[in-house]
Amino acid sequence: MKPRAIITLAARLLVGAVLVYAGASKAAAPAEEFALVIGAYDVVPSSVALPVAGLLPWIELLVGWALLLGVEARAASASAGVMTGIFLAAIGSVLVRGIPIPNCGCFGDAMHFTPAHAFLFDSLLTALCWTVFAGKTDPFSLDGWAQRGK
Amino acid sequence: MIGDVMRDKFSRRLASYALVSVLAVASALAAGRTRKPFTPTAPDFRERGPKDAKLQVVEFSDFQCPACRVAEPPLRQIFTVYAGKLHFIFKHYPLRMHEWAKPAAVAAECAGVQGKFWEYHDRLYDKQNEWTNPKADDFLAGYAKELKLDVPAWQACRQDPAASAAYEKDMKDGDDAWVSATPTFFINGRRFVGARQLAELGTLYMDRELKK
Repeated sequence: MKPRAIITLAARLLVGAVLVYAGASKAAAPAEEFALVIGAYDVVPSSVALPVAGLLPWIELLVGWALLLGVEARAASASAGVMTGIFLAAIGSVLVRGIPIPNCGCFGDAMHFTPAHAFLFDSLLTALCWTVFAGKTDPFSLDGWAQRGK
Repeated sequence: MIGDVMRDKFSRRLASYALVSVLAVASALAAGRTRKPFTPTAPDFRERGPKDAKLQVVEFSDFQCPACRVAEPPLRQIFTVYAGKLHFIFKHYPLRMHEWAKPAAVAAECAGVQGKFWEYHDRLYDKQNEWTNPKADDFLAGYAKELKLDVPAWQACRQDPAASAAYEKDMKDGDDAWVSATPTFFINGRRFVGARQLAELGTLYMDRELKK
């Protein structure tokens, strides 16, 4: 494998693992807990906080597993990039407005990043998403397996 | 047979999507099963009830907060009704606006070191209107005397940074759990804020959890 392909594979697995961990941590907790976090960001109307809290962890899980297994990897990396971009915008707005939130709430109650750390982390994830999107299908993906079919 | 079906691209795509969906559901279920209810650590003297009880209740509270005092009667009733079925953990969450809440938390912590946390805790809530004033220190010492604590040891404990470190750790736990008001209860990981939610919704939830 060429170095570029190894980097793409590593990026795909890393972003996928982070999304699965984040999604599973939040999906396991009552949706009201994550809705409280979303409400604190004050970026969406309070009426949609609960539906978003119920839906977002499942999107993270589906996109995360798609990346881990390499299923529609380009589309999954684009979706992951859009998500991390939205997270960056939300965290950035909290930092700019000086809203005191105790942690980013990105991983439910499993891990606690400060907003500043979460901003840096999401920036890295966005860059990794781009790496996957711009890379080629690797042989270790299910996309590669599907392409080898008749 | 399966090998034949899986030879064409379309079937392989479908199988890939199915695998992603199954793993997403499985990982959510696995996380749900392995997730422990919110049970931050606390010294043994701030816990009551069997540790393996089906109900885990964590309270974040402030001795100077009137709403926490209001929550005491329903809470004491819960201790009676669910005796033996409930593991309770008290966590300090002295609000910044309450001037005497931190000294009270330290005083209770030091009473706990001498095995009288709950007696001191009850005294602080029962007499909240008495000690929440600039003479708080005298009242806190008076309660220590009334409860027959070793007062010199209790006073020495209050000066020990370890006592204030205990409530600071609790406050960090509370911040991590997005506690923004007191009292906040976590019953098997589900949040209930205030006496009314505890008494009305919390008990219903506890009954449901016990039936599981």
